[in-house]
Amino acid sequence: MCGINGIFAYHSAASLPKEGELLATREAMRARGPDGSGVWWSADRRCGLGHRRLTIIDLSEDANQPMVSTDGRYVVTFNGEIYNYRELRAELAAEGSRFRTTSDTEILLQLYEREGVTMVHRLRGMYAFAIWDDVERQLFLARDPYGIKPLYTANDGWTFRFASQVKALLAGGQVSRDPEPAGIVGFHLFGSVPEPFTLYRDIRALPAGHTQIIDVAGPREPQPFASLAATLAEGARHAAPASELAERVRVGVSDSVRAHLVADVEVGHFLSAGIDSGALLGVMRDAGQSKVRAITLGFDEFRNTADDEVPLAARVADYYGAEHIVRRVSKHEFDRDLPAIFEAMDQPSIDGINTWFVAKAAKETGLKVALSGLGGDELLAGYSSFVDVPRWHRRFGPVARVPGLGWLIRHALGELAPGLAAKHPKALGIVEYAGSWAGAYLLRRGLFLPFELRKIMDPHLAREGLRRLRPLRRFTDTIRPDPRSRTGRVCALESAHYMRNQLLRDADWAGMAHGIEIRVPLVDVELLRRTAPVMPLLTPGAGKNALAAAPSLPLPSEIIRRAKTGFMVPTAAWAATSTGAASGAEPRGLTSRHWSKFVIARSSVAPTQMQAV
Amino acid sequence: MSKPVMLALVTDAFGGRGGIAQYNRDFLGALSDLGSMREIVVITRQAPEPVHPPESVTQLSPPRGKIAFALRALLQAMKRRPAIVFCGHLNLTVLAWIAARMCGARLIVQAHGIEAWKRPSRLRRAAVEAADLVLCVSRYTRSRVLNWAAIAPEHVAVLPDTVADIFEPGEAEALRSELGLEKRRVLLTVGRLDARERYKGHDDIIMAIPQLVSQDHDIAYIIVGEGDDRGRLEALTKAQGVAERMRFLGPVPLQTLIAAYRTADLFVMPSRGEGFGIAFLEALACGTPALGLAIGGACDALADGELGRMAAEADNLAEVIADLLSTPSAPTRGILSSSVRARFGRAAFRERVNLVLGRLAVPA
Repeated sequence: MCGINGIFAYHSAASLPKEGELLATREAMRARGPDGSGVWWSADRRCGLGHRRLTIIDLSEDANQPMVSTDGRYVVTFNGEIYNYRELRAELAAEGSRFRTTSDTEILLQLYEREGVTMVHRLRGMYAFAIWDDVERQLFLARDPYGIKPLYTANDGWTFRFASQVKALLAGGQVSRDPEPAGIVGFHLFGSVPEPFTLYRDIRALPAGHTQIIDVAGPREPQPFASLAATLAEGARHAAPASELAERVRVGVSDSVRAHLVADVEVGHFLSAGIDSGALLGVMRDAGQSKVRAITLGFDEFRNTADDEVPLAARVADYYGAEHIVRRVSKHEFDRDLPAIFEAMDQPSIDGINTWFVAKAAKETGLKVALSGLGGDELLAGYSSFVDVPRWHRRFGPVARVPGLGWLIRHALGELAPGLAAKHPKALGIVEYAGSWAGAYLLRRGLFLPFELRKIMDPHLAREGLRRLRPLRRFTDTIRPDPRSRTGRVCALESAHYMRNQLLRDADWAGMAHGIEIRVPLVDVELLRRTAPVMPLLTPGAGKNALAAAPSLPLPSEIIRRAKTGFMVPTAAWAATSTGAASGAEPRGLTSRHWSKFVIARSSVAPTQMQAV
Repeated sequence: MSKPVMLALVTDAFGGRGGIAQYNRDFLGALSDLGSMREIVVITRQAPEPVHPPESVTQLSPPRGKIAFALRALLQAMKRRPAIVFCGHLNLTVLAWIAARMCGARLIVQAHGIEAWKRPSRLRRAAVEAADLVLCVSRYTRSRVLNWAAIAPEHVAVLPDTVADIFEPGEAEALRSELGLEKRRVLLTVGRLDARERYKGHDDIIMAIPQLVSQDHDIAYIIVGEGDDRGRLEALTKAQGVAERMRFLGPVPLQTLIAAYRTADLFVMPSRGEGFGIAFLEALACGTPALGLAIGGACDALADGELGRMAAEADNLAEVIADLLSTPSAPTRGILSSSVRARFGRAAFRERVNLVLGRLAVPA
């Protein structure tokens, strides 16, 4: 887990990149890799690569990066983990490869040398990397199918740049800060910036599950190599009976957890009182982790109330023989950390505060790696969206397909029921949007709806942003090919949007700010492949029950029951009151709206106006 | 396998004047040199002078009027079945888009300067967004196009202006003595004198001369170029009391232009509106140091300050000029010329044309 960056002056008119810029970008990612750093330059100095290292696998200096192949032709800079690297290594060794290190990094070099760009199909893990080919004079970039690890690129027409963070690219001083309307509008719609956009026109995310080649002619269009919808559709074609559900989840999760424990340092655990992290702890124990250090956040507000997660988490920890570490967080600490949180927040996000504190606690404990239950709700139909989205689609779909009716109803409601409009602004859009899966999902996840944007930002910016973002089209693309079940569609939508752009980004910046690698065994392509054939059967409740039963010592039923009712986290209310924007006693949706305005205003480099075009 | 045919719709090319015609000639000439097209059919809006296109380029005589131009373009598209339609100006994109659609050709749109900086009509914008490749003369023009066009950034490439081999260092004394400028420090600007646009910055230089003279710089200022702003500029020089130091040469033949570049001690063009600024390249290729503002396409021509000096808009121009005139460590004319050619010479241009066309992967 690290920070990577690079500059390639591909155009013959371009000046040679400056060492100062490469280092400035790299050092802006110091927190991502406090244990070491390196740079590499091609002989003609037109390509430079940088790396900041957090040592987790092969702690020796031999495994430092950028790493050059034995013959000097290939150079890699890599962020992430390849969980099947030992298997790949054994396979390559059997075919005659020799290795200088025991790192997963070296595997990338050897695989690329042998298989070229198709090598990505062999990787299991979370990754973002760049490989320079000194003979072909080209860069090869790749990012994992779920987009767990970030990778941002910038092309000004002469020179191509990439880095793990948007702010790091800006720190180099050569990338334009001109605003990207689609990114700004996307943040207001969703509370996070949807890839491939960022707040800046010239900075783009390499989309999840894509590769990209940059040669002397410039960057080629990113090419997809993995699709969650395709995996789900494939699974649906080989539908498995209900009798296999529990077993598929058990085998899939156990296998994934085992893979995610690969490390040369201790692997800890983020334990809430939910089913996901509890079951993972049980599976970790099954995988031979006898004394896991499990961290739970506790909030003073809730001490000795039914909303406190700590007692239940403590029981789960005790049940699985883990060492339980409770970290109490107060509003005072929240206020004190807020400036640092905004500093670490790479792109504006309305979430991630909890992750910030649990990662901080992990760092205090001396951990570098921890597992998290992130992704369980997306994979196993844990969200209410798995109920709402299909229901809205079914109920309002026929009406919504009458042209213009949705628009009419929205305007009529706005006039006739202004109280409703003020309290539940999204309700106005229900008939307009619920006609398609994409629209119903937008309705479910939207912080604001498109028709509200011109009230909160420059109307020209809103219009142009929507035109470039095309949110409904974007959603529709992620359920193509059709996953062939309601659960599958919502799973694909939640995984490719909310989880990718919000949860995983937050896990990255908030974890990395403390030098903590957060591993997410429930966000794993192998696991998805195993569960895809039973995806239609994963009705809300069934999936989580299967997960709870996955450990050889299943989660006790009273814990499952209690966990299902949910717990309170005060950070949203803290955020609202700290900004003075809200009382904290409003509906969650409105609190988030206030918070989002504060976040984008605090995003120190956020452009608020688009230049006249 | 036979090579593809290209249909080029341009304002002017062979036989035309000005920067855009030059660029089109360079682009089509490079394609001809590369031999990657079986034939390039060029339809121009105008061609004021007799035409001598290179091999494999056929330039049809310009039709009279817009409608005739459009009809001929569509007719040629149907008849020749080109694999690529090249659109040399944003004003022609809609027509080029239709022509490309009619014969299933790839569409290349060329963006130069100011015309591409502002958001065009919806229809033109749609045509640009439908292009397979948008070529921009500079990074700045590219960024402005990306401001208004929702198009994959990989489809928008920079193909900079190029400078002809004929611009090289050489004898400079003849013109100097002809103009009576011996021993003076000669400033030069080459560009159109446009009364409406006035972005080239002639005024700023004229205003800077008194301060330079007061600091013992014996300045002369040559202005090359035609346009309707000349009278106003001449009046300004009188008002500033520097008329005697001025030489307005008007439009000049190529040999005089080259001589002017060689004669100058400093090429200055504090322009605020360059799509690229070919004159910077020509001056540098003749070995003359150049000064411009860090605005727009000039940054490309001056290579972010590595080929020429980039002043900020707020800088005192007289001070920057004085500094450059007294810089002893300036590279020799030969070195300056070869370093500009390495980036923007004919060979580099041809190679870049080859690379960007390679991206289209055109079926023959």
